[in-house]
Amino acid sequence: MEDTAISLAKNLIGKTSIRHHQVTRRDIRRFAQAIGDQNPLYYDEEFAKTTCHKGIIAPPLFCQTFIFKDVPPDQLPDDLSPAETNIALNGMKTVGGSSDFNLHQCVRPNDEIRVTTRVHDIFSKQGKSALLYFVQVETCFHNQDELLVARELATYIKRTDAQ
Amino acid sequence: MNTSDINTDKISIPQIGDQLRPLIIKPTHAQLFMFSAVTWNRHPIHYSQSAAVAEGHPDVLVQRGLIGNFFARMLKESFPITSKIKYLNWKVINSAIPGDELNCHGTILRVVTTKTGWLLDCEVTINKQDGQSVATGQAKVESLR
Repeated sequence: MEDTAISLAKNLIGKTSIRHHQVTRRDIRRFAQAIGDQNPLYYDEEFAKTTCHKGIIAPPLFCQTFIFKDVPPDQLPDDLSPAETNIALNGMKTVGGSSDFNLHQCVRPNDEIRVTTRVHDIFSKQGKSALLYFVQVETCFHNQDELLVARELATYIKRTDAQ
Repeated sequence: MNTSDINTDKISIPQIGDQLRPLIIKPTHAQLFMFSAVTWNRHPIHYSQSAAVAEGHPDVLVQRGLIGNFFARMLKESFPITSKIKYLNWKVINSAIPGDELNCHGTILRVVTTKTGWLLDCEVTINKQDGQSVATGQAKVESLR
């Protein structure tokens, strides 16, 4: 039987938020540095022009840089995990999980990306020693041409302090 | 990587059972901090050792998102620049921390001929130096011409 918290949390399924970002060369360069990828396709315009891409593109999972909302810290959960998981559940700590990315278009400097985040599902499963809570968040990224650039379905797992 | 490394030692005619070009990565505290910064992920278990220890971890944890990029990098480095990752999923099975040696591997499971060349399915894994599995996933890669 579901607990009250998860029954209430399920009311948030479908809740959507939208935000916009413009991509800069610096965003791409910093992302490439953070993931440890020195491929010149991500920072060397002269090299990138000679490729089939005809210019700098971003690494495949670059849209991760826009996934988390840039809300003030007081709007984050108590453990400062992403705001997307700020859902009243008995599980207090956010861990692990999974990602499912569909990639459609390359991201380039000056692209304007619209980020649409939606709570996809909330459910619980019995873990080894306690109930685990799963929060699934779908994030879609569209560019200035209204083309779907990427879609991620992320699953966050929340657990209690007792574990 | 130098520009001269691009397009060398790539799988241009993929076959079922081919192994992807392995990648070994040793994440550092600085890398985890940078990845938290560029993704604006303020969860301290990724950059504060004391916060991570308080939650029962031995050190700060490698982000799920960063692990996905290790897979993506292995895929990009295994195939020609004229290929594209269409799909990638991964699941974190065990936590990784700075200093761990992460061995990324992959195998081609299926190859389909398309108008532009091929579309293939891979399975991908990351294991630690002791063989413990960190993450597993699946990917689809296609050639663009």
